[in-house]
Amino acid sequence: MAGLSPSERRLQKELMSLMKEPPPGMEVDSDKAEQNLNLWTIHMKGAEGTLYDGEEFQLQFKFGPKYPFDSPEVTFIGNNIPVHPHVYSNGHICLSILTDDWSPALSVQSVCLSIVSMLSSCKEKKRPPDNTFYVKTCNKNPKKTKWWYHDDSV
Amino acid sequence: MGNCLKGSSTDDLSPLRNAETTSETTTSEQPWIPYREVNPGGPIFYPSPGISCSVNQLSEEDQVKIAKKLGFIQHLPTGTYDGCKKNRECVICMIEFIVGDPVRYLPCLHIYHKKCIDAWLMRSFTCPSCMEPVDAALLTSYETK
Repeated sequence: MAGLSPSERRLQKELMSLMKEPPPGMEVDSDKAEQNLNLWTIHMKGAEGTLYDGEEFQLQFKFGPKYPFDSPEVTFIGNNIPVHPHVYSNGHICLSILTDDWSPALSVQSVCLSIVSMLSSCKEKKRPPDNTFYVKTCNKNPKKTKWWYHDDSV
Repeated sequence: MGNCLKGSSTDDLSPLRNAETTSETTTSEQPWIPYREVNPGGPIFYPSPGISCSVNQLSEEDQVKIAKKLGFIQHLPTGTYDGCKKNRECVICMIEFIVGDPVRYLPCLHIYHKKCIDAWLMRSFTCPSCMEPVDAALLTSYETK
């Protein structure tokens, strides 16, 4: 792995472990990730016995050169964006570990697990109350949004 | 529940360099310099996570904050990795510790490569592993001296 920056080295390592031992219901598009180490797509299945059972989603991770000091940009992409009170219809996710509560000890895997668990604890499928306004006015990069985290129950 | 006021966080693309003023115990065998980038315009600081700016853009308040941070960081114990089996890899760079690596100990007893954790502490004074704030304990020991 000579010649790689520390951030690339870490991503390479994470990619290998995700390919070798993917968490249940998750699969990283390894061809795509190997082509561009800074842009990953992860296929994710809704957990069994939850409102999202049987659904499939795609998560996109964008890594900046300061990863893991800066959090990755994580959004849902594709034609199935989960209907969830913290997920906007443009794929943006309101989850504190993606901005304020990020730590370099977190990883792609732990972020994916948090997102699955966020979906799993959902009791009623609905969009955030400010979805229409947000989607119209937000920056393309969800990290530029000043999120207000005020509901940990879902 | 998400609420979403458009923020103006300065997420810049400029190459960055950390405020690395601690020069003790730098060993010579270091071809890799984790997470330290060079900025031709001078050192770059991180008054808070995700926000970076160069010295002359800093407010006086931020300068004081950063100077304090640098002081605190230098009061955290350092050492070299002794092969202890409990800590095998640095969770920041995900590279296994090698006996002799310069490491830093946080009050919660988590250890990291010195360069990795110093770069993080300049952004946030929390332990990456347990999120325990690092400064509370430190403040008391530091200020009563």
